[in-house]
Amino acid sequence: MSPRLPRRIASIGLIIVTLSCVAAGAELDDVQRRGELVWAADQEGGGPHVFPDPADPRRISGFEVELTELIAGELGVKGRFLQGQWDRLPLLLGQSADCVINGIELTPERRRDYSCSRPYFGYALQLLGRRGAAPASFAELADPGPSGPWRVGVLTGSAAEMEMRARSVRGEVQVEVIGYDGTLDSLEQLQSGVLDAAVMDDCIFAFYADRYAKLRAVDRPFAGGFYTVLTSKATPGLAAAIDAALGTLITDGRLKALYDRWDLAGRQQMLILRDAAEVPPASQRTLVELIRQTLPLLLSSAGMTIVLACASFPIAIAIGLAVAIGRLHGPVWLAPFLTGYVEVLRGTPLMLQLYAIFFLLPKVGLVLPALLAAILGLALNYSAYESEIYRAGLKAVPLGQFEAALSLGLSKWQALRHVLVPQAVRIVMPPVTSDFIALFKDTSVCSAITVIELTKRYSVLALSTGRIVELAVVTALLYLCMSWPLALVSRWFEARLERPAGTTP
Amino acid sequence: MIQVESLTKHRSGVPVLDAVSMAGEEGGVTALVGPSGSGKSTLLRCLNGLDCFEAGAVSIAGHRLAPGSNPGGVLEALRRDVGMVFQQFNLFPHLSVLDNVTLAPRTVLKTPAAEARSRAVDLLDRVGLKSFAAARPATLSGGQQQRVAIARALAMQPRVMLFDEPTSALDPKMTAEVLDVIVDLAKAGQTMVVVTHDHGFAKRAATWVVELAAGKVARQGTAAEML
Repeated sequence: MSPRLPRRIASIGLIIVTLSCVAAGAELDDVQRRGELVWAADQEGGGPHVFPDPADPRRISGFEVELTELIAGELGVKGRFLQGQWDRLPLLLGQSADCVINGIELTPERRRDYSCSRPYFGYALQLLGRRGAAPASFAELADPGPSGPWRVGVLTGSAAEMEMRARSVRGEVQVEVIGYDGTLDSLEQLQSGVLDAAVMDDCIFAFYADRYAKLRAVDRPFAGGFYTVLTSKATPGLAAAIDAALGTLITDGRLKALYDRWDLAGRQQMLILRDAAEVPPASQRTLVELIRQTLPLLLSSAGMTIVLACASFPIAIAIGLAVAIGRLHGPVWLAPFLTGYVEVLRGTPLMLQLYAIFFLLPKVGLVLPALLAAILGLALNYSAYESEIYRAGLKAVPLGQFEAALSLGLSKWQALRHVLVPQAVRIVMPPVTSDFIALFKDTSVCSAITVIELTKRYSVLALSTGRIVELAVVTALLYLCMSWPLALVSRWFEARLERPAGTTP
Repeated sequence: MIQVESLTKHRSGVPVLDAVSMAGEEGGVTALVGPSGSGKSTLLRCLNGLDCFEAGAVSIAGHRLAPGSNPGGVLEALRRDVGMVFQQFNLFPHLSVLDNVTLAPRTVLKTPAAEARSRAVDLLDRVGLKSFAAARPATLSGGQQQRVAIARALAMQPRVMLFDEPTSALDPKMTAEVLDVIVDLAKAGQTMVVVTHDHGFAKRAATWVVELAAGKVARQGTAAEML
């Protein structure tokens, strides 16, 4: 049994225990006794909802910041902001947040899993494109673009993503939907030509339109819905109080005034909210149905995890070994550059390197597909660690080995290739193996640049279906199915290297 | 065959070799003797360029080493003709005994695998270790390892063999089995330079003895004169 297995089982247990505590939330009287309403939102989601104040980035600004102050005021408390990642905000309910107010669209699934307030804003989904480039209309998406399906960017977990995926599944549009963690990411990628189009709430594009002069709205909005305040189902008193507060704000005109101040067409919003339709909650699927529907997606994402790890690690090892040899045995002038390479890649976060490859290279005209960018990023980052391991391994081979090889007439490079490196590889096998397992897990960072691997797929599915615990178990089992054989393979490899190479009887 | 002229080398300002001159003739066995720290091993390592020197010159097996660091090509060509056996054997632990012996002929001389293998088996037979061809060096005794090291150096058919205290790490029984191999080589006319503390061996095998003291040649002469 792998020594990691018990730890892995323990961490699955911890997740389940944590998730089952979600039910315990702060009720209205707790909130009032505490004197503050903790509301969760993501500043990365951007304007006009919640974003860092340009005049003082330590403060947050946005129409939802002011809305929350009004709601909290009605409850007789103050609002306290809690930063979270947008697609995971609902998970904070009942743990550290009392409510989520951040452009959360009212959907049947959310009505089933959480307590949703009456609508406070009507949004419309807008297709965006580059000026002078296809698509020129929404109808054009019905057929593939000049180079295959249209590449359309969306905010992960948003109504825009669900709408486009649903239309794609129904065959109404020929698109590849690419999910980003931040709203502005898809605008950036659209402007630099990586995407053909983007879909988002119209108010967001209206807010940022000046910054993206090359971009334009394509056609009129094609779908829409409402924003709602989420609370835990365990706090009905708080939900009722927020509903009542919103009702007061609508009738006494303060909500209209707020929207007018933010240039969000207050009068029109009030008309939309007056006619807000009730959304029925979604039905609960059976476990078998759930697994039948999600397993193919989880399996294909597990495949992506394997592809990322298995494609990037050999490259990391090759670069790492070359760097280590260059530092120890290369020309004197080369060593400082290689040291710099290692320190920069080791000293900066992998996430930042992925961002640089994916978002900055297109600005200088080098557009890499997300998968290639992810493999390159992982390979470069890990090459720094591998080079340090191999450097230690090469130094651990006794000097006498090098001298013996040289005195047989081998050149320095022949001595390295036939004598030093093979021995160093054997010495560093255990740390390299554990690095491979670390890389295997680090692949989840690639979701930041739209590559959907297993962890990201789990997160998306868990939130959209509300079946957090069941899917966590399925996902954990998939990870085990992958890492166990990997551990066996690496142990077999280690054992094979223990024997003398190329032995001839 | 071997000509050393006024070889001088310092280590942290202290002379290790001080204007050492000596010669060794073809087919002869030169023994380098003297107390520890007298410079015998350093002199030996200068003969195949593992150590460099500041002044003087070395001519060996038709190659010439100049003061300072010599180009890789010069060193590689010299070492093809000058084999070396170390005190600590330095066998390659990741290779089998046979592969230890065939590595250099195959990579340096580009000898075909089958030919290198059959020559290696002959050499292992000559040092009495034919049956250990597939074994790993770590499973052999010290004396056996040193005999493999000798076979490994002989595989390059060197014109000169250098031995750096080849039996110092061995107990008396293993010493005897290694010395027997070296004496056999001497009888077969192999030119050799041997750093040794063992005067009995020097008397038995050496044609010329050079005694070093504090980096200088104290005396030199035939084994009969010196010992």
